[in-house]
Amino acid sequence: MTHKERFFATIANQPVDRPASWLGLPVPSAVTELLRYFQVNSVDELKIKLDDDIYPIEVPYNFPPSNHIACAFKFAKMAHDDKPDERTLTAPGFFEDIDDPVLVDSFPWPDPALYLDVEESRRLVKAANKDYIRMGVMWSAHFQDACAAFGMEKALMVMLMNPEMFQAVIDRITDFYLKANEIFYEATKGYLDAVLIGNDFGSQCGLMVDPDSLRTYVFPGTKKLIDQAKSYGLKVIHHSCGSIYPIIQDLIDLGVDSIHPIQALAQDMDAPTLKTGFTGKASFCGGVDAQHLLVNGTPEQVTAKVKELKQLFPTGLIISPSHEAILPDIPPANIEAMFNAIN
Amino acid sequence: MNSELLEKLSECVEFGKINLASPYPPQMKGQPGADEITKEALESGVTPTEILNDALITAMNKVGQKFTENKIFVPQMLLSAKAMGASMVHLKPFFANGSVQRKGVFILGTVFGDLHDIGKNLFGMMVEGAGWEVIDLGIDVKTEKFLEAVQQHPTAVVGISALLTTTMVNMKPVIDAIKAASPSTKVIVGGAPLSADFAATIGADGYGKNPQEGIVWLDKISA
Repeated sequence: MTHKERFFATIANQPVDRPASWLGLPVPSAVTELLRYFQVNSVDELKIKLDDDIYPIEVPYNFPPSNHIACAFKFAKMAHDDKPDERTLTAPGFFEDIDDPVLVDSFPWPDPALYLDVEESRRLVKAANKDYIRMGVMWSAHFQDACAAFGMEKALMVMLMNPEMFQAVIDRITDFYLKANEIFYEATKGYLDAVLIGNDFGSQCGLMVDPDSLRTYVFPGTKKLIDQAKSYGLKVIHHSCGSIYPIIQDLIDLGVDSIHPIQALAQDMDAPTLKTGFTGKASFCGGVDAQHLLVNGTPEQVTAKVKELKQLFPTGLIISPSHEAILPDIPPANIEAMFNAIN
Repeated sequence: MNSELLEKLSECVEFGKINLASPYPPQMKGQPGADEITKEALESGVTPTEILNDALITAMNKVGQKFTENKIFVPQMLLSAKAMGASMVHLKPFFANGSVQRKGVFILGTVFGDLHDIGKNLFGMMVEGAGWEVIDLGIDVKTEKFLEAVQQHPTAVVGISALLTTTMVNMKPVIDAIKAASPSTKVIVGGAPLSADFAATIGADGYGKNPQEGIVWLDKISA
């Protein structure tokens, strides 16, 4: 099968020659050792060597210092590193003391058209090998940004105490992403196959927010983002770290094609439990534990886990680390073992 | 009368009713909250110790239990902690003059190199709700800062949190330094990628998979 045929068959729960795979996104501090170990010159070369199926394309967003669309809103009242992985969700945010929804316009909402680089979007997607699944890494984390807008603890209390205020803010954030995504989808029309969107809803032990509140305040925006991607013919992979079992059916109903990253050690997120609950109803992406196994396990243990996953999910699972970021504490030998076992 | 007030106060904290003006929870809208009921209880002769032990700690224990069982979630827990805080404001003078004793001092921080604090903050609230004085050192806390705090509070228990596999390894040098400076100081660790085995290998005295497990451990060592 080609990379594309394998991906589409995997998410449709149809037979595959082998499960589709995704390396994930190695963080810069992990890349050097990966390139050295695999004796390649770039992550692109590494993916070819591993026979990976998905080619992620980051949205080019010229907004210094991060130049990352995940840092498009300057909500924080305190200085912070302004990197996608170092945003301080819990720091006091712009809306911390604002309780009138009318004042939602007092924030200088950015216009994505001013920062999203259309030409670079087109160049990036055209440069990606068309044999791969070209996946736009959109994130569009409207819930997490709404948390940052107030400061997370305040945001979650506002959600219950002053829902109109929370709704006003999350709606504006959703509108921003809908506009940004439209620009990116138009620029990459005909070249993009899938998108990755998402928010972290889970902790290690359970959902952070009750399912009803998510359904009321968050999922309507998720639905718009999914419908928009679908209107461009794109498959939607939805990311949420943590234990999210009680809302997996919601995500399926919202139109998600694959649920990422199935954080294997989080409560009820192990592969056997997911297989029992959702065989044939959903597809997943992830599953190879990155909290312990990939970091501390031996290549033999990684091989055994991947073989177990393949037995449980002969299709319906894109095998990938259970966290999209490949951190520098994962030995490259374990990545090699993972892909050898997949292939 | 007193037991009725304590029960009402406990209910306010359990369900996150902060004060009269608070619209949450909807079924208690328009009713007095933890703020007003604590005031009324003190004026009626309820002792601060009874308020702390028989209303606040009892309620927060229920909250922790429900959170562990995924019957309530972070927003509800935050509102319970907020309601408890509204009550505690009235108890502050009694803590200051020593007429009410807390269970102990708990020093808390996210290990150096790690900026994540959601779990740490929730645990801090629960520990406070369990009757401890919490000194939160924040995120990315250097070893020296933990040592300074231990020096200032020699009988304190220390809690260290980490979210990442790349930062949880920083806990061992912090624990080593604390134990070297103050061998009797107890340390508990927590965070998503941790396990009881890992906690034992780095020399921690305790580990909490969730806030409630941490509280149970604290109660055990302070008994």
